[in-house]
Amino acid sequence: MAAPFRCIYRPLWRVITGSGRLTVGMRNISFTENHFSATNHKTASVGSPWTLHGAVCLQRLPVISQDRNPIEEEFSGLMQQMELERSLLSDHELRLLEDAARMSRKQEEDYDSDEEEDYGDKEIVTAQDLEDAWEQKLKQFHPAQRSNGDKLDVSSSERCLADSLVLLIKQDVGSQKVWLLPQVQWKAGETLRQTAERALAHLPDVKATFLGNAPCGFYKYKYPKDIQKEGSVGAKVFFFKAVMCSPNHLPLEKNSFAWVKKDELKDFLTPEYLKQVNRFIMSL
Amino acid sequence: AGIVCRTLSRVVSSQTSCCSSVVSVRHSHWFTSILSPKTSVPLRAEPKKKKKVDPRREQMMKERLKKKLKKLERVPPELIPIEDFITTAKCFDETRVREVPKLSFEETERRALLLKHWSRYKFSQHQAEMAEIKEALEAQRQALEELKIESEDLYKAAIGPDTDLFPFQHQGPCYTPPIPNYEAPDGKYNDITRVYTQ
Repeated sequence: MAAPFRCIYRPLWRVITGSGRLTVGMRNISFTENHFSATNHKTASVGSPWTLHGAVCLQRLPVISQDRNPIEEEFSGLMQQMELERSLLSDHELRLLEDAARMSRKQEEDYDSDEEEDYGDKEIVTAQDLEDAWEQKLKQFHPAQRSNGDKLDVSSSERCLADSLVLLIKQDVGSQKVWLLPQVQWKAGETLRQTAERALAHLPDVKATFLGNAPCGFYKYKYPKDIQKEGSVGAKVFFFKAVMCSPNHLPLEKNSFAWVKKDELKDFLTPEYLKQVNRFIMSL
Repeated sequence: AGIVCRTLSRVVSSQTSCCSSVVSVRHSHWFTSILSPKTSVPLRAEPKKKKKVDPRREQMMKERLKKKLKKLERVPPELIPIEDFITTAKCFDETRVREVPKLSFEETERRALLLKHWSRYKFSQHQAEMAEIKEALEAQRQALEELKIESEDLYKAAIGPDTDLFPFQHQGPCYTPPIPNYEAPDGKYNDITRVYTQ
């Protein structure tokens, strides 16, 4: 116990005297952990020049399957053909063949109905009749349309049903209005995930499931020099991924938010921000 | 004695059909002859001791029966057949064989080329997906590193498991979007799955 004890104490001293930034990799040993975190917390709130923000990357996952590429169409056709060739005849197909044979026998002149087995006096429902009945029933069902066309603008969440959309918001950063993922400043005493949840709370009627406690990406930027006096050099934004559960969303204030595909992001976001955000937003 | 034997044989031969019991009695060693004076079972053997040997014997018999029963019971229970692994007799029916038209040379060529094109397409798609996932994981790792630099507490909170996440449910994409306020018709079905008990 003595030896490990000693080698742990050294980095502790380094922490208390040094800056907030750590370059020493620490092993988790229960005794020193609490002590260490307490000191680190103090240095973070005092010495760290970055203000923390929590942001949420809210995604509406696709509702519809995507259209096939030409190669995919061709290949699916080939697969169906090959499966048909390698298969055996099903009950329904056998029945169709039997009915066809019976019909051809009926057409002949020397047809004797008594020779038929299982004929009787009952009315026979041919397999073809069944098929027609099924088709009629299918026609009675009217499914919803796959594509809404270009009627819906950027602020509706029913836009491109085959792709996953990300929510963007126009927020004031400094003096400018900028398109961003919804973000809110971190308050002491809450985890960053709770900050992200607070960021979502500003949007009404959205039920989202956060995917885990860990952030999926971060972005840091420096404030312009006039604001830097307050002791913070800039801000660090940590993004959290969330998935929208219920599709119904009441649009409010059309110009302030947008549902956007991954390739449309470049029209809204600044290049540096976009570079970081593109890393964790996946186009399926 | 000779005369007696002859008469006996005549009697026997005339009465063979009906007196088979008499013949068998005659052949048994307990009875020397029919005409001899009738005596009971010879009492030369020891009288049966019913007090000690029998209960022991009965016990031995019982134990032997029990052992046999146990051996029978030790047989492992019959295995439940896996229905997916049994090809039904329907598949071996010769009337169900489909007539396959012969493929032309061009058709086989087209198929081979399409398969190769497809494998190339799928490979590139897989590479792209893997690269995207790798990029996202790298972004997350860097974010966690930065968070650790900032504050150890927040880092620990971020690393900790999320208990509310699972069980996670989400409706996947279908061919057409869901119709709002749609009343689905009742689906009646007969469940014909076979249930096996061991």
